[in-house]
Amino acid sequence: MAIRECALKNQHFARLYDAYQHRDAAALACKKAGGKVLAKLGFDVPDELVLAAGLMPVQVYADPYKELVNTDKILEFAFDPMVRKQFEKMIDGTYKELADYLAVSNSTDVFIRIFLYLREMIRSMPEMPVPPTCFIDWLFTRNRMHQERNELIIGLFRKQLEEWTGKPVTDEAIKAAAEVCNADRAALRKIGALRHGEEVRVSGTEALVIIGSGFFMDKKEHAELVEKLAEEAAEWPVIKGVRVFVTGSVHEDLKVYEMIEAAGGVVVAEDHDWGDRSYDRDYNTAYPPVRAVVDRYMLRQFSSKKAFVTQRVDALNKEVADAKADAVMFYTNIYEDSASWDYPSQKKSLDDQGIKNTCFAKMLYPAEKNEDLAAKIAEFIKG
Amino acid sequence: MEETKKEMPQRQGTVKKLKATGEASAYQKQWFQGLKARVEAGEDFGYLNADVPMEVLKAMDIPFVVNQWWAAICGAKRMTKKYFGLLRDAGYRDDLCSYCATAFAESLDPDDHAYDADGNPLGPWGGLPDPTIAITRLTCDCQGKIFELFAKNHGADFYAMENTQARTFPLNWWDYAQDDWENLYDKDRLDAAVEELKELIRFLEMKTGKMFDINKLQEVMDNINRQEVWYGKIRDLIADTKPAPVTVVDTINAVMPAQWQRGSEWAADHAERLYYEIKELADKGEAAVPNEKYRLMWLGRGLWHDFPFYQNFEKKYGAVFVWSMYLAMGADAYIRNNVEADPLRALAARYIGMEDFLHMPPWNAQWFLQQARRNDIDGVVYMVPENCMQAVEGSFFIKKTLEDAGIPVLAFNADPVDARKWNRDTMTGLVEDFIENRVMKKEK
Repeated sequence: MAIRECALKNQHFARLYDAYQHRDAAALACKKAGGKVLAKLGFDVPDELVLAAGLMPVQVYADPYKELVNTDKILEFAFDPMVRKQFEKMIDGTYKELADYLAVSNSTDVFIRIFLYLREMIRSMPEMPVPPTCFIDWLFTRNRMHQERNELIIGLFRKQLEEWTGKPVTDEAIKAAAEVCNADRAALRKIGALRHGEEVRVSGTEALVIIGSGFFMDKKEHAELVEKLAEEAAEWPVIKGVRVFVTGSVHEDLKVYEMIEAAGGVVVAEDHDWGDRSYDRDYNTAYPPVRAVVDRYMLRQFSSKKAFVTQRVDALNKEVADAKADAVMFYTNIYEDSASWDYPSQKKSLDDQGIKNTCFAKMLYPAEKNEDLAAKIAEFIKG
Repeated sequence: MEETKKEMPQRQGTVKKLKATGEASAYQKQWFQGLKARVEAGEDFGYLNADVPMEVLKAMDIPFVVNQWWAAICGAKRMTKKYFGLLRDAGYRDDLCSYCATAFAESLDPDDHAYDADGNPLGPWGGLPDPTIAITRLTCDCQGKIFELFAKNHGADFYAMENTQARTFPLNWWDYAQDDWENLYDKDRLDAAVEELKELIRFLEMKTGKMFDINKLQEVMDNINRQEVWYGKIRDLIADTKPAPVTVVDTINAVMPAQWQRGSEWAADHAERLYYEIKELADKGEAAVPNEKYRLMWLGRGLWHDFPFYQNFEKKYGAVFVWSMYLAMGADAYIRNNVEADPLRALAARYIGMEDFLHMPPWNAQWFLQQARRNDIDGVVYMVPENCMQAVEGSFFIKKTLEDAGIPVLAFNADPVDARKWNRDTMTGLVEDFIENRVMKKEK
């Protein structure tokens, strides 16, 4: 099952799909109109602050077919292939042209290294077209001390934005931006409900488009479109199939989901950052702005990179149960290794519950490079 | 295992065997037996990653073993193949994080504390006693997960310390580290590190029932300063003496056992004895490799499973590995003067730098260059780990920095403890080619 006719014919979905397919269009239009764009690497750069600073946030994404002219000279091969493709765009001028600034969050240790390399390139290789770059040094282990430290770090990011834009980022502006972000998350949760419920009305492939388009378009427009779409999608035909939960690497494109859904599965939920995890937990408007930002990004659903094994086992169990999944598919790209340490414990827990599961590890990127992947996925779904 | 050892080329006899190396080896074995006895008697026992501020446990007299030291012992005992087979059997991948996962893999071995029919222990040195505390810093995405799994297998409490990144980075960090750390680090980083230490101390006090005494920490820190000053003198002596009186094979084996015991009187005294022993060699003009022609620098972790590799190039080319981080790091990165003013802050200023100095460009690259110049290095052999994000350290920038300064670099991928993919002949050929075509052709 690819994206269904009912979705393609829906005007709101069509607009989202257009933004998903033409990911640079809104940023280029913003720049053309005199606006400024901030590219985000990592999934913990707070949109609330970027929007409050008057910048348009866009997510850094990989071009799977881009030749790695310089990246292979600079990155050790322990970097996973998707990150390599992202890095090439950050050093070949793509993001220098598309964005005015780059913010990197330490959502994974890999991005810490990428930031250090970019910083060193800016220092020692000024001829390389790397945009002005900053780093957000979150601490994700959950205790009071780290919460306090994160407030300082987010305060520094706020200052950096003020320095870049030459304008104060006010509490009022943050709160207004947070309300837009919360509205967007609320709308996405309505879409989520159409996947997680007894009757599945939105496929995983469609959901990736709905969620991912929000990384590349005006947040308010996205929230409004998704809100309207959620109402209309509630009437879309029910999708029958094996309910699959996807965990592991992020899926910046639709290929793997299409394979799952072509084989008779339906991806009802996932825990990666281009899926359900992106809209988990709201900014609490009752808290002071910086503290509310910390609360939202520090305490949402555990990521596969920044959590311990027991946390990941519990989180997966809960999310699989919430989504009423029949099956779990672990999928990790080659050299994206940390989730591999969670896997045996997670598998055991799923086995104990009688939930069928399979693991595709060390996968080549892009997905079509993997021989017989569609057949193997079909075997799992139908088996 | 003996048969395997016999296959390895033995030392050519051109370098004096240091008494201090044998002493350190004997001491660590004796110390380890003593540690086992303490654990068997019911004492708490910590298992720590190398970048954990072990000084706190030393000050509290909590026995501990350092992960990297133990992985090196396991690697040297050639246990890795067995251990990674156990990982595979348990459903884990056997090609990840070999340095950090060795002890976790060992914890899956039912024979770790067993003996064969002849009464020989099957585990390295009779196996690792069960730790009651496992502490790591979160310096990569995998570290916390591996330590948590390790702790679970041993029934130990798991404790994680966070890691922060430097925003300011004066290139010549070694000029700041000993006395002026307040201007080396961002103030808030140091503040946070001190708070981390206080939390760790509170955890250890609650867990062990032992009180942390700041005066004991000062004693530990003073001992470390004394020890590292001697390492600095040794490092400079080797830099200034041609041909060098010792090679990395001598120094690593003498320094590392003591480095993991840092803070003790023994370690400081041992460092002093080591200095005088090497100085005596230098004074007598006794060279490790009398035909020394080329001075090589080894970058990266030690090649624990094939130590004689370092000596393969001495006789044929007069190419001698005179520098590794294991001696030099302590000298430049560990000393903190005037500790008494605030021992905890001084310790914070030591432990947060460990990751930065070694793995953060430009700090690592600039230091390697400074050291290469100081030691008149002709070529650098750089082992880049294959499967370790923690050790991903900007090898491009390191190579570029050194080569831009006219120092040739051979970078290759290998693993410090996993011998499975190591081919001695291939690697020897690679280094020989490097020496012949890059080092020997370089105009001095």
